[in-house]
Amino acid sequence: MNETQVTVDPDLCIGSAECVRVLPDAFRIDETLGVSVPQPAARTADRVSLAEVVRNCPTGAIQVVACGEDPP
Amino acid sequence: MNDTGLLTEFTATIELDRYEDIRAALFDPNLSRSFDKRSYEDGNIRSGIVSIAHGEMHRARRRLENTQFRADVLRLYERELFPRVMSDLLDLLIDRERVDLFPVGEMLSVVLAARRAGVDCDASSLDDLRTLVRHVDAFSQGSAILDAKDPEAVRALVRATYAEFERDFVRPAWRTRAALIERVRRGELPEAELPHDILTVLLLHREDPDIELADEERIVREVATYLQGGTHTSAQTLVNALDLVFASGVDYVRTIDRIASDTLFAQRVVQETLRLRPTTPKMKRRAEAETEVAGRRIPKDAQVILDVAAANRDPRLFGVHPERFDPDRAVDPSVQRWGLSFGGGPHQCPGRAVGGGFPVPADFHVDDDHVFGLVALELQAIARRGVRPDETATPERDLRTARFTRWLHYPVRFVSLAGGRPVENDVRRALG
Repeated sequence: MNETQVTVDPDLCIGSAECVRVLPDAFRIDETLGVSVPQPAARTADRVSLAEVVRNCPTGAIQVVACGEDPP
Repeated sequence: MNDTGLLTEFTATIELDRYEDIRAALFDPNLSRSFDKRSYEDGNIRSGIVSIAHGEMHRARRRLENTQFRADVLRLYERELFPRVMSDLLDLLIDRERVDLFPVGEMLSVVLAARRAGVDCDASSLDDLRTLVRHVDAFSQGSAILDAKDPEAVRALVRATYAEFERDFVRPAWRTRAALIERVRRGELPEAELPHDILTVLLLHREDPDIELADEERIVREVATYLQGGTHTSAQTLVNALDLVFASGVDYVRTIDRIASDTLFAQRVVQETLRLRPTTPKMKRRAEAETEVAGRRIPKDAQVILDVAAANRDPRLFGVHPERFDPDRAVDPSVQRWGLSFGGGPHQCPGRAVGGGFPVPADFHVDDDHVFGLVALELQAIARRGVRPDETATPERDLRTARFTRWLHYPVRFVSLAGGRPVENDVRRALG
């Protein structure tokens, strides 16, 4: 499976946990900071679910880049 | 804008009614929910609250408050707390054949909204609940002041209600929580044993300058906002759901039976209702800075009106008859079944999963972790008691606001009371 690079901008994230709902193994909320942190499983998560996570993130904090591609 | 924070006039008014344009506007960080302070915020329940805040302070407060909307908290409410409270309350509230459904919905919803907000009340005391509902009604009018027909009357009502709410509900809850937090700080109590509610989390983190809560009244207003938001929308959605079901034709009894037996169908009814009857049919934003949405330039201090009710009826997204009430309609997974009714972007409603539950998958298959939403459970409980329209009375819309989705009274009748006990008149009717 092709890996992807998944990042969450902690300054933008508001901890809505939409990403955790869609991909509970790929994201975790750091309850001290109140923000989402991508987990190793995010790198191999299916593209459709990752696209849903990006679409649903209320602040656009999540970025997904296929390895070898430039970020948008 | 002048030096009092008063926006003397908008530089332009731009209305958007296409789904994708509204979505782009909702996600645009340059569009805020702060308006003319004098007409919307000052002296009103909205002043300084999270949904008006913008930028880093808004994000900091949402990070704190979102902890009260985690999936495990929602499941706790939905599976353990709410069924018991709801059953006991419905036994008290539906004590005769003919009942006004709107206050029933308010009383059901206010119990849990109070708990989440951090307002202590006796859930078995109808007097306590009625008082809270009265406060919620005033705060709801304040929240919708931009659509109010008499804004000054609303402002006066909010001021009077606020004082009573603070004295009788917030301050006692505040003292209790402050004492518990003090015990945590002295190492006498684990933090995990603090109440899980908005007031507690705000008091616990109040020293954090990022959340700007040095002003105690701002905390009171924040608590009031969660109480109001958690009550009013749910109660209105419950009534709108039944209104749509009853209007769907002679087969409505079959729909009521399906709601009674199929919780996921009940949830789809709620989400379809939210799409057709959004609590805020037209959302408003203000441009904090010049921006561009869907190719349209929006100058600084422009008012942007988002016609959510129109966008939610887009046939490209909701089928050839988007105006029809059809809880079984096929909707692309990239679109929420409730459309844009909970907003979107940084200001999207934090309680959307409380009321509407998690998104329903396209194949209508959900796993054990699914959250159905409290309104679906309320609707199902009422359906199980055999709710029917009351042909002897007329529902009454809330004409104090221009919002077409709000009710004041909605008379219904029931064919079963507590424990499935049939209503005497219906037994007689059934026997001819």
